[in-house]
Amino acid sequence: MNSQLQVLIALQDILLLIRDAKDPTRKKKYGRIGFKISNLKSLEDTQAKLEEQLDPAIRSQYVRMKQRYGRVVAPVINAVCHGCFVTIPSAIRGAEDRNKKLYRCENCGMFLYWVEEQPILR
Amino acid sequence: MNLSKLVLPKKINLNLEATTKEAVIEELVEMLRLSGPASKTLVATLLTREYLGSTGVGNGIAIPHCRSLVVSRVRIAIGRSRKGIPYKSIDKKRAKIFFLIVAPPVGDPSDYLIVLGQVAQVAKKLAKDKRLPKIKTGQELIDLIKEFEK
Repeated sequence: MNSQLQVLIALQDILLLIRDAKDPTRKKKYGRIGFKISNLKSLEDTQAKLEEQLDPAIRSQYVRMKQRYGRVVAPVINAVCHGCFVTIPSAIRGAEDRNKKLYRCENCGMFLYWVEEQPILR
Repeated sequence: MNLSKLVLPKKINLNLEATTKEAVIEELVEMLRLSGPASKTLVATLLTREYLGSTGVGNGIAIPHCRSLVVSRVRIAIGRSRKGIPYKSIDKKRAKIFFLIVAPPVGDPSDYLIVLGQVAQVAKKLAKDKRLPKIKTGQELIDLIKEFEK
């Protein structure tokens, strides 16, 4: 996997954690299940450290995507960008280096991550 | 959405070898059989989640969980440690039964919270059940979970 993509995915996961932790309704629901949510600062510190690992050009795109959508990486499932739900062009879809190279959705601009699919075997 | 339907016997390890919190999370993530980089990212996210507060909910139960881009559907792995693992649980007791839950960021987030709530309920019943230490196979554990879901 492209190392910058790996950082972007880690950042996206942290952004989700932060968003969940800041949402009072979800925080309450977590509390009911038995999870205490605190120490948000350490997550924001981790986020800042990861952001420093991004190349300047990618970082500026990341900032733009984060401001526009609140997320930066869109999963690609069944050849559809789950950022904007538009089908990925076949030239990119068939590329052998997907996830090894950093691709962006031509429609929404989000970075793309092809999610590994595993058949359900019982 | 029943927990017993989401868990596969292959994703249950009744003899976890890990002795630390970090190692047990790694061992559970390995059971999901993702690629190396995806596993590494997921372990990092789960450990980051722990900064917010331990997912050790007491009574020997730990439910490490997060939403992550590396999965496209809800993935669950269950592990049991005979000796227990220091997990910084809310009751400070060692955690013995682990439910790893990972959900994709797409879809309704409340679905994920519903699964999480169901797992927590079943886990509490399971931890109190005297049959748990005697269970030998993943299928036996799933059958027990089914009993609690009735």
